[in-house]
Amino acid sequence: MQDLLNAPRLRRLAAFGAVGGVAALYLAMVGLVEAFKDRNVITGVVTLGAVMLLAVPLIAGYRAAIVPRDVTEGWTRSGLQRAVNGFVAGLIAGGMLGLLVFVGRAVDLRGVLISISPDLLDFLSFGLPRAGAAVAIAVVGGAVGTLGALLLISPPRIRAVITTGLLAVILISLSEPFIRPRLEQLDYTAISDFLYQAHGLTVPAAIAAFVAGIVGSALWAPARARVRQTVEAAPPERRRSIRNWTIVAALIGVLILPQVSGTFFAQVLVLIGLYLLLALGLNIVVGYAGLLDLGYVAFFAVGAYLTALLTSPDSSLGIGLPFFVALPIVMLGAGATGLLIGAPVLRLRGDYLAIVTLGFGEIARILFESEALRPWLGGVQGILGIPNPFPARIDLDIGVAHLVASGPQVLYYPILAFCMLAAFAANRLANSRVGRAWNAMREDESVAEATGVSTVNYKLLAFSLGATTGCLSGALFAVQLQSVFPGSFDVLVSITVLAVIILGGMGSIPGVVVGAIVLIGLPQLLREFAEYRLLVYGGVLVAMMLLRPEGLIPNRSRQRELHDAMDDEEEAEPPQPELAAQRGSA
Amino acid sequence: MRATDVRLRLPQRFNLVSAILWGLRIVVVVLVLAGAWATLSSGKLSPDTWRDLVVFGIAQGSVYALIALGYTLVYGVLFMINFAHGDVFMTGAMTAFFVARNFDESGFLNANPIVALLILFAVSMLTSMVVAIALERIAYRPLRRAPRLVPLITAIGASLFISNSVRGIYGEQDQAYPTINALQGRFDIFGIPILKTQAVVIVAAVVFMVGLVYFVERTRTGRAMRAVSEDKDVAALMGINVDRIIVTTFAIGGALAGAAGILYALVFNEVDWFMGFLPGIKAFTAAVLGGIGNIAGAMLGGLTLGVLESVGPFLLLGGAGVPSPNQLRDVIAFTVLVLVLIFRPNGILGQSEPGS
Amino acid sequence: MIEEIDQPAAPKPGPEPDPVDQPAVLLKVERLTKRFEGLTANRDIDFEIPRYAIVSIIGPNGAGKTTFFNQLTGLTRPTSGTIEFDGTSVVGMAPHEVAELGIARTYQNIRLFSDMTVLANVMVGRHVRMKVQWYEAILGLPKVAREEEEVRVRSLELLALVGLRRRYEDELAKNLPYGDQRRLELARALASDPKLLLLDEPTAGMNPGETRQMTDLIARLRKELRLTILLIEHDMKVVMGVSERITVLDYGERIAEGSPEEIRTNPRVIEAYLGKQATA
Repeated sequence: MQDLLNAPRLRRLAAFGAVGGVAALYLAMVGLVEAFKDRNVITGVVTLGAVMLLAVPLIAGYRAAIVPRDVTEGWTRSGLQRAVNGFVAGLIAGGMLGLLVFVGRAVDLRGVLISISPDLLDFLSFGLPRAGAAVAIAVVGGAVGTLGALLLISPPRIRAVITTGLLAVILISLSEPFIRPRLEQLDYTAISDFLYQAHGLTVPAAIAAFVAGIVGSALWAPARARVRQTVEAAPPERRRSIRNWTIVAALIGVLILPQVSGTFFAQVLVLIGLYLLLALGLNIVVGYAGLLDLGYVAFFAVGAYLTALLTSPDSSLGIGLPFFVALPIVMLGAGATGLLIGAPVLRLRGDYLAIVTLGFGEIARILFESEALRPWLGGVQGILGIPNPFPARIDLDIGVAHLVASGPQVLYYPILAFCMLAAFAANRLANSRVGRAWNAMREDESVAEATGVSTVNYKLLAFSLGATTGCLSGALFAVQLQSVFPGSFDVLVSITVLAVIILGGMGSIPGVVVGAIVLIGLPQLLREFAEYRLLVYGGVLVAMMLLRPEGLIPNRSRQRELHDAMDDEEEAEPPQPELAAQRGSA
Repeated sequence: MRATDVRLRLPQRFNLVSAILWGLRIVVVVLVLAGAWATLSSGKLSPDTWRDLVVFGIAQGSVYALIALGYTLVYGVLFMINFAHGDVFMTGAMTAFFVARNFDESGFLNANPIVALLILFAVSMLTSMVVAIALERIAYRPLRRAPRLVPLITAIGASLFISNSVRGIYGEQDQAYPTINALQGRFDIFGIPILKTQAVVIVAAVVFMVGLVYFVERTRTGRAMRAVSEDKDVAALMGINVDRIIVTTFAIGGALAGAAGILYALVFNEVDWFMGFLPGIKAFTAAVLGGIGNIAGAMLGGLTLGVLESVGPFLLLGGAGVPSPNQLRDVIAFTVLVLVLIFRPNGILGQSEPGS
Repeated sequence: MIEEIDQPAAPKPGPEPDPVDQPAVLLKVERLTKRFEGLTANRDIDFEIPRYAIVSIIGPNGAGKTTFFNQLTGLTRPTSGTIEFDGTSVVGMAPHEVAELGIARTYQNIRLFSDMTVLANVMVGRHVRMKVQWYEAILGLPKVAREEEEVRVRSLELLALVGLRRRYEDELAKNLPYGDQRRLELARALASDPKLLLLDEPTAGMNPGETRQMTDLIARLRKELRLTILLIEHDMKVVMGVSERITVLDYGERIAEGSPEEIRTNPRVIEAYLGKQATA
């Protein structure tokens, strides 16, 4: 018993618990729980709001069960003690939340904390009265904390397997907005009814998903190892042909995706595609050349407005050019804008460059919106009547396959084509002397200049290429909406694109693709999320910079650049095994 | 083989970049002169209006100056732009609003306006201080040695996070600060009418600024701050706890921003979760205009920008018949920002920057 | 640590044989002055380098040697004075234009592109002689691959020439041992086929064995690649051993110029700098 109540240990546990408590309170106060408390994960059992809240003591308990490296007095590695650690941390976290509920029932907090509504309090209280509710929450917290500790203690294989199972359940549940309508469209109502009810998984479906996750996880590692073995053992020509066939398969998959997944999903894909195009452009400016452009939205706007002005008969120019005739003019305009914005900022240092470009972006937005320029740019009401050059519906027979596309499914293809073009061009550039020059410039600008790289030219090149891509996306955006409004072009777009690149990996094309899918696609899955999109983007930016600045799928050289500078600052955390191995081999 | 290459050279190096920069200069100068001339010659606005605009500009500029001090202090010690500083300002103002509303409902506000106001200042300054310190601890300290772009991106993320958190916690709507009866009406100072609120704002700002200068020049901590901003490593060798000084710097900057929050509320009345963005950028502009890293510069820059922004739309555009000049108020601020950073990044009073 | 170096490859043909009408003086500097706020780093310096010579600049710390280099390469703009390289005035030129004309340099405190590979570092050095444009790179024309391969081969030859072991090429520049980093910087500078090579303290931080290797390398490079070399050095053995002419700077002014013998016995120089090392 003495062991269990040791002071430094309690302090540390209290710290974890407090952090957890703050997190739980935050989730409640900021309204995330409220927003998600009606979104069923497993109908009748648990909602997403509950899952979010429960994750807090789970993680707190997990962390609390980690024994610090230099085992100090009072800490042992005993399973019991670690489980108790988890319990205590979870208890404290839950207790803090319970306190909030207790106070919230006594005093109407809604005047200040608008999210603490009676509904929320009911939801949190398990139907118990004030004091009971607070205690109950604390105890549940403790219990979940213990589970977290147990998760840590369990052997890694089991841990991975269980985590995958849980994730599978959540993933399939959250994909309901895509899957269910599609199933119903295809007349697979029986399956859809088995899986989903009231927008959440049915209990049997949940169990099935969990099991599937477990089984998948268990089978994944050996299967992957076997595939890798086979591929490596094969002779080079065989390997190349395997690679080619994989690419072809992926290509086919991407091409028929909108067919398979329905119009709603296609709409999401179109949105992802537009942002992806933007991100590919900004990736050249930020990722390759190292110039943080916070006013990137200006190019997007210029592309959209130029397209509108040139192609819409209702615009102030009223010439109504066909889209593909206007497009080269738009791209020229893009290049010019890139030069105009790039030239003044060439000599500026990183953070100043960011702020100046932000300034340019804002000036552009205000001008587009202004009364003063309304006769030309349409002011707040924008420009309408942009014709869509792409057919409204495609009905094709290709060999044995039948291709049908309508609405967003049609627009998907040109956007996909442009994205691939942009990615292809960017990749070619990165691997050429241009990419080398950009790398050198990023590392040491004056030495690069002295070595023969004209930094002026290469910065301008980056800006212009980024501008052209951004304008292209703008043109497609204008055509998709068939109108442009200045409200769509604010600084938050620039920041969103930046977040996509940061999440995926600066300078990494696959990374940017992943980033776009995650940051643009997921909010569409979780509609309640829309309000909190920016909150999450901000959190993502901070978290990525603190934890993994090179992004999810890093470009190898950036990873080295970023970590070496920052590794010196590491606190006395036990070094993770992968990092140590990396350093050893370098 | 170019043994005796004769290179064709124009007396002044002509290239695209110079051309664009010169074009920019010319356009700006022409616009400013033309607009000003048009307005003044049309005589549309009376001298009284100009005077009121200037006074308003000074009041507004005082708010900017206080926020700008936060930017300049942090830049002085860390050489980074605390992009989230505007949101630090916002949290103070928003939190104090609820206290103010409570005071108003209970009548305390109008019964004891001075005490009430002091309490509001305290609440706002405390909140902002806490947020600033948390920001430093959580988001900036781990990244002190990272390449320069990393803390900037973190700051942007933090700004988004803080403002949207407040949006979630306190709600989306604009909130109007209650009016203080004692502050209604005008003073007449040397024949110039000044709104009482404006007077309070200007005086309070001056008091805070003087206090800050005294603190930095005369106290031990202030000296330590100056030492750290000169050379962090040497200061550490001299026995100064650099981490603690940095936290103190953030705390002071935050407190000043919190004070600015109340002053803003007095001048503009409305507060909301997004109010940190524009004043934040404008205050940064002010700091750079005056010379970043320089305290006097922040004050000077703030006042200058405030007046420019107040007078500018009418001076440059109103006379020329541009509709709704006030919409373009922000354009003036952003244009000043862009022009200063491009053409004179050292600002008016020079810069404390290590050699490149 | 004395390392075995690869036998350098057979000398590649360097710049074409010079025609009769090339000026004998490759670099001519007249009354070069550089003033920073309150400090005059270089004052009225006159200086000449004959083609294919090896010349050293020496002087106590702070004499203005690196500032002098910086002005030659265009990193810093002179306050007044002229610099004429191979008949062309380079004052006011951007550094990359100077590189294109044929001046390359290494740095006192090694400034490699540390997170790029060894090979990439050298290939960047070649950048200024490459002709492929960005749109050609996007289009993937055959000449792009051809040029890349040419440059790659040439870069590998240069690496061998400076004595860097072949298997290094994909190693990150920052992981190289100190001596090899200096060689890499040299290879990068040579990649642009310069006429004039500026070396800023190339043997700093080296032990006597490494210093000897570097000195031999410099002499050999001058011969095989027909370079003109300008050296800043503190190590008197190197200076006296390899230079044909020496210029001495002190407090930003040129205080002496001549052959090693003349400098060694020049009282002003001895007073300013050499002191007890006069009998080196």
